Amino acid sequence: MDVKLLHLDDESLICRIQEGSHEAFAELVDRHSNRFYRIAYRLVSSKNDAEDIVQEAFLKLWDRPNLWDPGKRAKFTTWFYRVVINLCLDHRKKKKLINLPENIEFADENPGPDVLFDVHHKQAVLERLLNDLPERQQLAVNLCFYEGLSNIEAAQIIGVKVKALQSLIMRAKTTLKYNAQRYLDGGSR
Amino acid sequence: MTMNIERFKENLLVYGPDVRNWPKDMRSSGLEALDSSPELQKLVRDEERFEGFLKTRKYEEPSRDLARRIVTAALPGKKKAQRHLGEFLSEIFREFSLSRRALTAISVSLIFTLIIGFTIGFSIPSGYASAEHYETHLEDFLIYEGDVL
Repeated sequence: MDVKLLHLDDESLICRIQEGSHEAFAELVDRHSNRFYRIAYRLVSSKNDAEDIVQEAFLKLWDRPNLWDPGKRAKFTTWFYRVVINLCLDHRKKKKLINLPENIEFADENPGPDVLFDVHHKQAVLERLLNDLPERQQLAVNLCFYEGLSNIEAAQIIGVKVKALQSLIMRAKTTLKYNAQRYLDGGSR
Repeated sequence: MTMNIERFKENLLVYGPDVRNWPKDMRSSGLEALDSSPELQKLVRDEERFEGFLKTRKYEEPSRDLARRIVTAALPGKKKAQRHLGEFLSEIFREFSLSRRALTAISVSLIFTLIIGFTIGFSIPSGYASAEHYETHLEDFLIYEGDVL
């Protein structure tokens, strides 16, 4: 691989890709495939589907590199997060997602310690609680809490103002906390 | 200026329970408020526990060859990269996620079956029907069918 490519920023790499450089494309994929896989996985909860989505997104970029418009001065990652997220949301609509056990319900009585410490059960409950959130709240939690993006970048990706993003996070966490408490306390609240 | 409790709660949700990681302009007032309020200290502990719960979320790492797969799929003319046999086999083994011991057992039994197959195959003389043998059977057949030559 051309050593010079390693030192180029993402936007310069895209310019090379627009000129047909496969090596620049390889460098960009190498740099970012894991990052975009993570958000895809968070949204579709399946390793294979997340990998397919990331591949589809990058191949779209390769086939039509002019989709990224340098004139808009958007960071590549911000723009590409949107591409991947849109593919994930389409995928969810098609698949009706969530392969969760149907019998997860808020308990009527206090669950025993065995239930509380059942990691898989807890994970399934958490996944369901997250998936029950409105779409934009899910995105806010995934981008800020799980991916550790700044509020500014997450707001740009979702297409809202920073204040609105913060409000989404607050509402999401408040709802999650309330529902998790309901579950862990066995509906006693 | 000390932060009021409502503002503190909002920041707790937005920036998390580690007040030292809050944006600079609210960090010192947040820490000051936290030091002086057992109620806020309890809120921070609750938030830490809640975030601990959120962090138990399931996650699977991507395949190690994800990037290579994408790059290969985009090769000009969609030509697939040539793969070595060893690479191909190891990919299959990875797919079935068998242990090294299980793979060895399967390989040995396959080789053993091949050896037995060859041994049996070469030990039996190649079969041919002599004209005499053939005619005998043809006669038997015609007699059986009722047609006499």
